[in-house]
Amino acid sequence: MLAELINPYYLQVASFILINIILGVSIYITLSTGQLSLANAGFMGIGAYTSALLTLNFDLPIIVGIMAGTLLAGVFGILIGIPTLRLQGVYLAIVTLGFGEVIRVIFVNWESMTKGAVGLSGIPHMGRELLNTVKDLGFDPKVLGLQNNQFVFLAIFLILLAVTVSIIAFFRRQNRSRVGRAFAAIKLDEKAAESMGINITYYKVLAFAQGAMVAGFAGALFAHVLAYISPADFAYHRAVEILIFAVFGGSEVIWGPVFGALFLTVMPEVLRFISEYRYMIYGLIIIIMMAVRPQGLIDVNILNWVKLKTSKRRQKHGTSSQKSM
Amino acid sequence: MVLQVKKACKNFGGLSALSDVSFSINQGEIFGLIGPNGAGKTTMFNLITSMFTPTSGEIIFNEDNINGLKPHLITKKGICRTFQNIRLFPQMTAEENVMVGEHCRSKSGVFSSVFRTKSQRQEEERIRSKANELLEFVGLGGFAETVSDSLAYGQQRRLEIARALASSPKLLLLDEPAAGMNETETSELFRLIKRIQEQGITVLLIEHDMPLVMKLCDRIAVLNFGKKIAEGTPAEIQNNPDVIEAYLGSEEEDMYA
Repeated sequence: MLAELINPYYLQVASFILINIILGVSIYITLSTGQLSLANAGFMGIGAYTSALLTLNFDLPIIVGIMAGTLLAGVFGILIGIPTLRLQGVYLAIVTLGFGEVIRVIFVNWESMTKGAVGLSGIPHMGRELLNTVKDLGFDPKVLGLQNNQFVFLAIFLILLAVTVSIIAFFRRQNRSRVGRAFAAIKLDEKAAESMGINITYYKVLAFAQGAMVAGFAGALFAHVLAYISPADFAYHRAVEILIFAVFGGSEVIWGPVFGALFLTVMPEVLRFISEYRYMIYGLIIIIMMAVRPQGLIDVNILNWVKLKTSKRRQKHGTSSQKSM
Repeated sequence: MVLQVKKACKNFGGLSALSDVSFSINQGEIFGLIGPNGAGKTTMFNLITSMFTPTSGEIIFNEDNINGLKPHLITKKGICRTFQNIRLFPQMTAEENVMVGEHCRSKSGVFSSVFRTKSQRQEEERIRSKANELLEFVGLGGFAETVSDSLAYGQQRRLEIARALASSPKLLLLDEPAAGMNETETSELFRLIKRIQEQGITVLLIEHDMPLVMKLCDRIAVLNFGKKIAEGTPAEIQNNPDVIEAYLGSEEEDMYA
């Protein structure tokens, strides 16, 4: 019975939704200090290629590859974050977009290492590796009534779900702390924040590095879920796609880009005929959102309204477990 | 001596905003900085808080030369300011605004915040209760949860003072705190600044409301066209012919004054 419910295709789509949510979070973090970075596709590529090459060439475990990819993306985040500190708004966006392109061009041209535009294939697959490990330990998915490929996709989905939830929890907690207040203060008024004793250099670079690490992490996961990557996966289109998650969903609260990533990944799957026009639709979304709702669909007011509704419903049902925040 | 400004000059290109301004402020006093519009008062504030670096001259705070120090380190040393055109963090609540002010007196970082360590929770609790005390102190007791954007103008000015006080300053710089206030609000402000002084905090005040300045300040320096033209007690300043001329213009030159 369980077996019939688990459709590998749906799980695959769900896994991509989760990866996109992580990418949405990555742009949200840098935006929460008021910096618009379009380099996240580049950082994603760095994470993906690093992890893929390490696991392919040195037979390292996937988890080590992912960690190395995440860290290297973070290092690049710092390297890009420091010189761009003086840039604001659209100028920062232009420079970071340029950086992303440079990364892509390096992937295309460093053929001895990256196999150029053809891309890397045969990257160790997260689910299949897990299946092998589990089988070596003497466990057969058939015990659960699952076929091998069902087990593979289910495992990937559950791992990604746990990871995504942890990342969101991480940044929600950070937001409600001294660090989060510093981020918000810098976003709202940099000069005032500086006058209140906030080291803006530190926090802006921190946000940049965190965003880069999260994007690199998503990239590494992407490589091991798809088992095939090419420079085209991390091109300009990807940068715009990540931006759209934040523009459409909103970037005031973390749920904005999460919703944006969820909706915009599901939409082309559900409405197949749309998928060919997706970039046209993205363009339309940007224009409409900028004109009508520049803060994105989900903002603080919507969130408060949802909280109010759910707390009322809870009271009606008599459970008075109203925890603050 | 809390603050000594020695021959401070600031040029913007060919324009000299301040030239050779010197004064010093004693511990615990309320020192007024007055002068006509464009005299260089706010520029002086920006030099003291290191928003600008002086072209020449020295600024000495508690025996330390603070020239060229990063602004956030100035705050950490104990100088904090308010702004002429209110610069609160608009979407934050009053409480959060004041909590931001305590940034340099707290230290929890990313990991202690995410893992909610015991010291982080205690620190957060301490910051929050101090913020509420300060809101009470400036008379915004019931407004902790109000978004600062929706506070009345006079309340926003007082919130800015609370935010600056949150950094536990030794020297508080107030840039036209009474601007746009009515008489009741101004007299409340007068008492508030007096109470700040009673806490042992030295105050440097820029203000255009002359009756308030004369009542409040222990000593006053007057700037005009970037130069200091007088310094002394309120009584001395009121009778200084140069000051009267700067404010009212000399008789021959301007009959509409």
